[in-house]
Amino acid sequence: MQESIIQQGVDLLIFGMGTVFVFLTVLVIATLGMSSFIRRFFPDAVAPVTEPAPTTPSNSVDPRHLAIIKAAIEKHRNKQ
Amino acid sequence: MDNLLGLWQESGLYLMTPGQMVMIAVGLLLLFLAINKNFEPLLLVPIGFGGILANIPGAELASSAVDAALHGAHPDVLAAFAHTLGLEIGSSLEAVKDAYNHASVSVQSQLSLQAADFGYSNGMLYNFYSVAIASGIAPLVIFMGVGAMTDFGPLLANPKTLFLGAAAQFGIFATIMGAVGMSYLGWMDFSIADAAAIGIIGGADGPTAIYVSSLLAPELLGAIAVAAYSYMALVPLIQPPIMRALTTEEERKISMTQLRVVSKREKIAFPIVVLILVAMLLPSAAPLLGMFCFGNLMKECGVVDRLSDTAQNALINITTIFLGLSVGSKLAADKFLDPKTLGILALGIVAFGIGTAMGVLMAKLMNKFSEHKLNPLIGSAGVSAVPMAARVSNRVGLEANPQNFLLMHAMGPNVAGVIGSAVAAGVMISMVQSMGG
Repeated sequence: MQESIIQQGVDLLIFGMGTVFVFLTVLVIATLGMSSFIRRFFPDAVAPVTEPAPTTPSNSVDPRHLAIIKAAIEKHRNKQ
Repeated sequence: MDNLLGLWQESGLYLMTPGQMVMIAVGLLLLFLAINKNFEPLLLVPIGFGGILANIPGAELASSAVDAALHGAHPDVLAAFAHTLGLEIGSSLEAVKDAYNHASVSVQSQLSLQAADFGYSNGMLYNFYSVAIASGIAPLVIFMGVGAMTDFGPLLANPKTLFLGAAAQFGIFATIMGAVGMSYLGWMDFSIADAAAIGIIGGADGPTAIYVSSLLAPELLGAIAVAAYSYMALVPLIQPPIMRALTTEEERKISMTQLRVVSKREKIAFPIVVLILVAMLLPSAAPLLGMFCFGNLMKECGVVDRLSDTAQNALINITTIFLGLSVGSKLAADKFLDPKTLGILALGIVAFGIGTAMGVLMAKLMNKFSEHKLNPLIGSAGVSAVPMAARVSNRVGLEANPQNFLLMHAMGPNVAGVIGSAVAAGVMISMVQSMGG
């Protein structure tokens, strides 16, 4: 009994640690595969982010200025 | 006069045992640490308070109906129990208790019905415990909430850091050997199931530790949960000396390249990939990792924000309250005041230390084979304890090089550690149950 509990502990150590490493190794491979698959065939996530960026400076009036101007007109009209 | 005497004999002062007094002091100590020192207050406040409630003399809040009946030890009740257990009428209280503890589940539930006939009922905390922990629900719901709070971005940007999370799990298995060694030397009497449940403290993951010990060693759950949460609070003190001892100044200064941007679709696909791998390779880890992946998918998919919000706020808070009180119910004096508790506390800190050391050493090993150098300090974050361990890596890194922000890099091994300890938990549960111990 006393010998066997050591044996059971060693079994747990070897198989447990082995399983953790094997599982996470497979997970690393699967993750790398999944990432490269998605980045190759469905890479749309990056495109829409860069798209609107250049359009903002091309506007002649900055949106913040526009908002301020609108507010000023509104205020002026309300006075009359 | 008789009434006065009766009231005195019902009072807490009259019924208090020294053990209960000690445990109420322990409960107050936990409350002090939580409130004054900010040690994992979300857990230690309910645990400490539950511990005090469980030790209120005469109230038997943490006892089952049968325990309460045995505690009352009325001769009629004992005779009825002895009859059901197949003992001679007139057996001693100890004999009945012993027979009850070794009886099959069907006989035990028969006895609890019998206790109900005599007017005994389960204590409040006992009911919380059976609903929240004995059923496995609370740790799994919390794991779902943790999944909904976890961002796998840093891990996906650098999947190699999964190895760091794997290496740090060595702390779990080294601790099992420690516990087994203690029983071999005759210092303690741990079974292999006890040893496995103690080892999981090294996973530095509260819900996982509670889940495993509720299955493998329910009688040690109080000590294991208290050790796990206290040491998680002490991570900023335990880890840095080990990290500094194992690394050189040069290694601590290594700065890592900026992580790439991870797309939404990768983040959505990852929990599904993990789930499929668990289903195919390791079904025994499915309860923990299944809930974890479910929570994470709810967060990342972006179409069920209401569910994800509930999982990471309201639901996890409610569950934490009941989990804490239920763990507190296991701090009843007759179960907690045992030399085993000291052994568990000692083994727990060794588990944290070894896990930290192995994570750091693994990072150094990986540097030998890889062009993209890892800063070994992020290896220590492989022991889960999200996000505390990652913050510790960051802090120690800043000491060596004030321009070196390791926090995001350390989150990779940190969440890998959560997956690693859930995998280790699954393996241990299935192996120990098949060992029949």
